[in-house]
Amino acid sequence: MSFKKYALWAALMLGFFSKTQAQTTAKSALQASNILNPNISVIGWFQGEAGHRQSGEEASSAFQFQEAEIALQSIVDPYARADFFVAVEPPEGKVDLEEGYLTWFNLPYGLALKAGKFKANFGKFNRVHRPETAFADRPLAHEAYFGEEGLASVGGSLSWHVPNPWLFVDLDAEVLTMPEADETPAFDTARKKDLLYLGRLSGYYDLTESANITLGGSYAHGSAGREFDQVNNSSSTLKSRLHGLDLTLRWKNPKRAIYKSVLWQTEVLWNQRELSSLSSITSAGLFFHLEYQFARRWRAGGRYDWTESPQDNSRHDQGGLLYLTFTPSEFSLISLQGKQVKRADGKKENLGFLKITFNIGPHGTHPF
Amino acid sequence: MELTPSKRSFLSAVLFCLMPSWLLAKVQVVTTTEDLAALAREVGGNLVEVHSIAKGYQDPHFVDAKPSYLLKLKRADLFIQVGLELEVAWAPALLTNARNSKILPGNIGFLDASDGCEILQKVSGSVDRSMGDIHPLGNPHYWLDPSNGGRIAGNIAEKLSALDPKHTEDYKASLKHFESRLSKKEKEWDQAASKLQGIRAVTYHNSWPNFAQYFGIQVVNFIEPKPGVPPSTSHVQALTQQIKNGEIPILLVEPYFDIKLPRKIAQATGAKLLIFPPSVGAEPEIQTYFDLFDHNLRLLLNSLQEPPPQKP
Repeated sequence: MSFKKYALWAALMLGFFSKTQAQTTAKSALQASNILNPNISVIGWFQGEAGHRQSGEEASSAFQFQEAEIALQSIVDPYARADFFVAVEPPEGKVDLEEGYLTWFNLPYGLALKAGKFKANFGKFNRVHRPETAFADRPLAHEAYFGEEGLASVGGSLSWHVPNPWLFVDLDAEVLTMPEADETPAFDTARKKDLLYLGRLSGYYDLTESANITLGGSYAHGSAGREFDQVNNSSSTLKSRLHGLDLTLRWKNPKRAIYKSVLWQTEVLWNQRELSSLSSITSAGLFFHLEYQFARRWRAGGRYDWTESPQDNSRHDQGGLLYLTFTPSEFSLISLQGKQVKRADGKKENLGFLKITFNIGPHGTHPF
Repeated sequence: MELTPSKRSFLSAVLFCLMPSWLLAKVQVVTTTEDLAALAREVGGNLVEVHSIAKGYQDPHFVDAKPSYLLKLKRADLFIQVGLELEVAWAPALLTNARNSKILPGNIGFLDASDGCEILQKVSGSVDRSMGDIHPLGNPHYWLDPSNGGRIAGNIAEKLSALDPKHTEDYKASLKHFESRLSKKEKEWDQAASKLQGIRAVTYHNSWPNFAQYFGIQVVNFIEPKPGVPPSTSHVQALTQQIKNGEIPILLVEPYFDIKLPRKIAQATGAKLLIFPPSVGAEPEIQTYFDLFDHNLRLLLNSLQEPPPQKP
């Protein structure tokens, strides 16, 4: 082989190795960057609806893609984690940051601090994202007091696990920007910088190996709009106080955990709201939810609703919802639901739903 | 002021909770499974207090992240998990909510017991959920190989020594004692296993690759068509035919699965149905890591000695 051939051969080999090395380096760098990527998941929520709504709401289409919830979750640094939930809602034509918050979980004395936009820790139901509830709708009381999206706002939260040897006790204090009345009817902004103060004390106890109970009490204090005094040309802030009690009972035999379970959940809300400096109103709402998992992939459940309106306690809505849900796997479900509501004006609503949800990616576990 | 007995016990309980864990004499260990707890007790002896989150009769893939577990995790000096995503649905949620930075991954109080163990069925290439509840990093039931039991015990001893250096020699001695007992037991099990060589079996879930490899058993199919996927009628029919054609004598079912369908298959094929526990604590008599293998080998050997049930 001549010198030229050797040189050509050497150049080709050098080129090949340097290309392979570059590819390997690029691949390794890509893998390394992938390791640090956040967990990304998407939950799709497709829904069919039959029947007519009487409540003045805009009629829904027969089939709707209700929501795609995109979750990005990751540890930020040795001290904190971040959770983002972005809701894409085609029927409303909006993209909304449902939650986006940082949690410092590494504080002393059993404390955790959260800052950002998040669903308020009021009751048990409020924190569950809409596609992940058992229902195609929301309980009437939650709609009446917290609106369709639930009580969520921007602010901070301090949580403390109260040390004791008998049961798990959590005490939460939250300060949030006051949501607008059209988002959260229980409250109303009086001034731009108004704040909503919340507190929650909850306890969890294992009654037996299979049964457990969670009992919680919540309180929220905020404004209910402004009252103008035209005589003195002044204004004052009206107050709204919301109280909540929740009880959750669960039963699941750990020896047959994938086949049978029972869930009972009750939430009661009552609201004291100033209508003016001279008058106030007390109203209430509640729901009961019972779910029975009777086979590995089948659940049946029902909900009873009763609620007044935060502005009017002279009349109430009441109703119920029944459902049968099939879960092909942990990552998808198909649910047939029937709902009847008797509105305060005496009109009845009969609605049927087909709820289908599906999840791709490692969606984080929700609070128990 | 004179305190009543009830007030005294209340006060002492509160003081106990407020006391930092280093003041407690024993190293507080929380494990995800009872197998790891049993091994931690072997190595730690009286120097450790061990709690397991999942019970031996529970499917470790499906454990509720109950807040009561946080009480134990909050006080833990060491958290040990099986890893390979066995506990991915519940352990990360518990760890981040326990408010105990010491036991978070990467810190001194966290141990993934799979380090250095022989892991089978690692998945190469693309993975998606059409394959069922697959574990891309390998099959997580690796503790069912006694050789891995020794490795896990070694990992625990090393971690306990790092956490509690003044007792390093004690942990080393306990590990040595455990290894020597394991070595004796392995000889005993090897002898028993000679009768099991090449025996064919169907299992409910893919829990037994390490056990099967160690004892020479051939697992030819599963009642679940894919990991974590409930059996379909067509799969059961094909499986029944396979058992009949292939003369597969044994059907192994983990205790947390419904027995009705396996019983039907056993009746239709003449295969012997064994409730086969993969974990310590699954039965009252399985208290230690050694008991687990003794129990399962006894079940297998007894079933081979029994005359086969008449085929329908």
